Amino acid sequence: MEALVQAAPGSHETHAAPKRSWLFTRPTAKTGIVSWLTTVDHKRIGLLYAISALFFFLVGGFEALLIRVQLAVPNNTFITHQTYNEMFTMHATTMIFLAVMPLSAAFFNYIMPLQIGARDVAFPRLNGFAFWVFIAGAIILNIGWFVKSGAPDAGWFGYAPLTSKAYSNQFGGDMSTDLWVMGLQILGVSSVVGSLNFIVTIINLRAPGMTMMRLPVFTWMTLVTAFLIILSFPAITIALVELMMDRSFDSNFFEAANGGLPILWQHLFWIFGHPEVYILILPAMGIISEIFPTFSRKPLFGYPIIVFSGACIGFLGFGVWSHHMFTTGMGSVATAAFSLMTMAIAVPTGVKIFNWIGTLWGGHLKMRTPMMFALGFIWMFMFGGFSGIMHSAAPADAQQQDSYFVVAHFHYVLIGGSVFALLAGIHYWFPLVFGRKVSEFWGKLSFWIIFVGFNVTFFPMHFLGLNGMPRRTAVYDGNMGWNDANLVSTIGAFILAIGVGVYFFVMIYTYFKGEKSGRDPWDGRTLEWALPTPPPEHNFDVIPTIHARDAFWYEKHHQREISREQAVHAKEEESHGGIHMPSQSWFPIVAASGLLIGSIFFVNHIYAGAIAGGALMVLGIYFWAAEGPGGYHVDPAGHDDGSHGKH
Amino acid sequence: MSHFSSHRSLLRRAASCAGVASMPLFFGGWLNWLSGPQSTFEVAGPVAKAQLNVFYVTLWVTGIIFVLVAGVLTYATLKYKARNTADEHAAPTPQGHGNPLIELGLIAVSVLALVFIAVPTLKAIWYDYEVPAAEKETALEVNAIGYQWWFKFEYATEQIAGAGTLVTGNELVIPAGRAVRLNLRSVDVIHSFWVPKLAGKVDMIPNRGNHMWLKADEPGYFWGQCAEYCGEDHAVMRFRVIALSEPDYAAWLVHQKAPGRVVPADAPSSAPAAAYDYKNPGRNAPGYSSAFDADPLGAWVKLQSPEAGEVPASIAHGRQLFQQKNCIGCHTVRGQEGVGVSGPDLTHIGSRTTIAGGVLENSKENLHRWLTDPNGVKPGNKMWTTGYNDSASGKEIFRINDDEARALVAYLHSLK
Repeated sequence: MEALVQAAPGSHETHAAPKRSWLFTRPTAKTGIVSWLTTVDHKRIGLLYAISALFFFLVGGFEALLIRVQLAVPNNTFITHQTYNEMFTMHATTMIFLAVMPLSAAFFNYIMPLQIGARDVAFPRLNGFAFWVFIAGAIILNIGWFVKSGAPDAGWFGYAPLTSKAYSNQFGGDMSTDLWVMGLQILGVSSVVGSLNFIVTIINLRAPGMTMMRLPVFTWMTLVTAFLIILSFPAITIALVELMMDRSFDSNFFEAANGGLPILWQHLFWIFGHPEVYILILPAMGIISEIFPTFSRKPLFGYPIIVFSGACIGFLGFGVWSHHMFTTGMGSVATAAFSLMTMAIAVPTGVKIFNWIGTLWGGHLKMRTPMMFALGFIWMFMFGGFSGIMHSAAPADAQQQDSYFVVAHFHYVLIGGSVFALLAGIHYWFPLVFGRKVSEFWGKLSFWIIFVGFNVTFFPMHFLGLNGMPRRTAVYDGNMGWNDANLVSTIGAFILAIGVGVYFFVMIYTYFKGEKSGRDPWDGRTLEWALPTPPPEHNFDVIPTIHARDAFWYEKHHQREISREQAVHAKEEESHGGIHMPSQSWFPIVAASGLLIGSIFFVNHIYAGAIAGGALMVLGIYFWAAEGPGGYHVDPAGHDDGSHGKH
Repeated sequence: MSHFSSHRSLLRRAASCAGVASMPLFFGGWLNWLSGPQSTFEVAGPVAKAQLNVFYVTLWVTGIIFVLVAGVLTYATLKYKARNTADEHAAPTPQGHGNPLIELGLIAVSVLALVFIAVPTLKAIWYDYEVPAAEKETALEVNAIGYQWWFKFEYATEQIAGAGTLVTGNELVIPAGRAVRLNLRSVDVIHSFWVPKLAGKVDMIPNRGNHMWLKADEPGYFWGQCAEYCGEDHAVMRFRVIALSEPDYAAWLVHQKAPGRVVPADAPSSAPAAAYDYKNPGRNAPGYSSAFDADPLGAWVKLQSPEAGEVPASIAHGRQLFQQKNCIGCHTVRGQEGVGVSGPDLTHIGSRTTIAGGVLENSKENLHRWLTDPNGVKPGNKMWTTGYNDSASGKEIFRINDDEARALVAYLHSLK
């Protein structure tokens, strides 16, 4: 562990390090491009995640607009079937893997260590590696737009055997599915690496007194999500490797013509895919569980049950995957079992909603923008939850499956749920990260436009689905009774786009010109609000000692006791040589670029290049190990000891 | 803070205006939006009915929960909202952490509510899965097979001497009032068989023997569509189910089992029908007509008998072209030329209401369009990629010109 919470006696390196070769000289730039490429600071990595995720959020949104334009009127010729299929495939893949997941990761990175009173994550270089691998995966997934074979077009769950070589392209020679397979595998590496880091961080780097049942709920949900990721990604990785073997080396896992079993893909995919749904929503629930107490000025109602239901959702989430497959002919018993399990998972989800309302009850609700988004979340998530219960009744689902009703359902959960919460989180933590506050007027305006646009877009889709419109259809006839709802939906999509535009514009404006907010602008309850804005590189001058849930609220109401305690700890830390910080490193990005290069060659079936890329990655990891943990000290007054990279 | 509060009231007014304006949009259109050829509410058979009933149960239970929860949420939001800055900074309320009794009580109530959904769900799962025992004996069994991008129907119990099983394409004809068990298969990728008014969907998965059952209460004409994304033309992979009274169905069977109709070249021709005008309406152009939609079953009946004004010479020319243009490689006209099975059986193509996988109404203009510009109707379809073009290189092998198309249309439409 490179970032030590408490400098334990003896860990403080006093000997002068021997001179290292240039290869192992740790970069020390604190500003400029090099400082970002080599950063190991969890806050900077969090910002990198956030910026990339928001970029891809706009890309995915643009793809969605093209889809809605094509469907605005019947028999439209705006884009071809082929392009349309690429759009919905890439819209989903982008929004799930390149927007919502990394935006959650941004919050995990930036906020979670602050909430537990840590100075960084457990493995800072690994954290950098996870980010750069994510970028590699994002590049691979999107390369298709710029080459002849086009972007992936087999749908985001890539049902075999549509992904097999025989069906890839009408005249052969299509690598778009290879890009999709490779891109997802690489993103899986990033997610698993990142999650292991978060788990170790939460288990090991909590400040003294921060017991598990005092963890802020966002941190709890980070932990549950991280476990879901490390347990579910192996399933899709297996499926993707098998598919890669089928496509590259003529194996027959899913090749129906040679006896392969397409249904196997569905099981492997959804046993990942359903937990993935909770990977997308649990962080959102965590954010909401932070915002409600803060703006109600009350502790979370039923903390233990909220935490327990979060964990419960995590467990049950692995037992409901086949509700995505009610129409695959599983037989009555299996269908009934998954139907009941799916209903069961509604209970812990509902419990959370009850407890959030309980949190509001009797509080002093401050109706600020984050609170608006959080309330919007509850309303929209309720709709998504109720249509989810409708799906859980398998006979009803036989009509809804793969129709626009499902499209409505998961957008209510993923936009009305995840995205609303993430947008709330950006507003909520913006003052902490940048020291500036978004104008309430513009913040609320963006909320209302997004809220109206979202509902106008997606509510009609319930009707389209129940009126028999299947999803993933590039064109529909005008005599099916779908014209009005589709047009309304398209208009809504543009309202939504305007709302998102306002939101982004306001954020950028605030970053440069916004009102200065100062420390703790919301009267916060959790530890991150104890920090100055923006937080210094080492986060906490003195590692806090935790006496209660809502640790910072306690601090604010027991100031004398806390300052006495902090003075003692400060002295102790001083005697250990000050605050130990991890050194920056080039090797995470070097290793990740090896993965990128190797993958691009592999997709093009140039195996020598693939091996070379792999070798570069291994070399990067080897040097990473060889350069040693590094580290330097800063003293709490803020200037470091000038020993960068020398120990 | 004063400028701030004026902004706020402005914002609230704008929001409520937007809300009121969108109300009629939402509520007014709702009922209209649930009616159409593939509506899951206008059910016409017991399976779809059972599924709809389960949906209503879920709608009621979640609706009641919604009213309760939304009511409490609205009340809490309005009641505890800070009215002004002083209110926001008032001393915090007692910092309570919850109430186990309320929490556990709500869990119990949620579980109970789900039991209300679970019981009818389980009943319907078993009912929908298999033809009821009492109807098994009389049930019709048909194999439905998905292809990219059309449906083949094999009437396994209807054998034709010397020609095997009765096969049709894209239009499944069934007897009304009788249970139909469909064995669902696929030859390439996954498809899904969905006729919303008769039954929810079941997937057609390669190397897997799925089945479903359905029944039409009354004779009728039903729209269906592939519901599982199956590649480039998933959107236009459609089909029909036509339910006939028992005597009509029996007559249809006799007719279908007969070989393709032959019009001798020297047959006396009545006054020839006027030549149709043809202009390619372009990609994705509609292939339906309101006249047809008004009475699809009536249109189907009309198509069962030969039309007036057939030109025997043209039909004979079309029959030759059918061989020369390699149509026979993929299509069959039983009793005449053609042994191909990778495309739909065309023995009685003239008696079907649709062509091109249910996308186009079977009119002369549409058939002409389909033959001359298949890629504009269904991009990437096999007729175009492997018939008109070389499947490996994409090079054009032949195309069908206007005159050839007219002859082929005459021939195909003579196949009643």
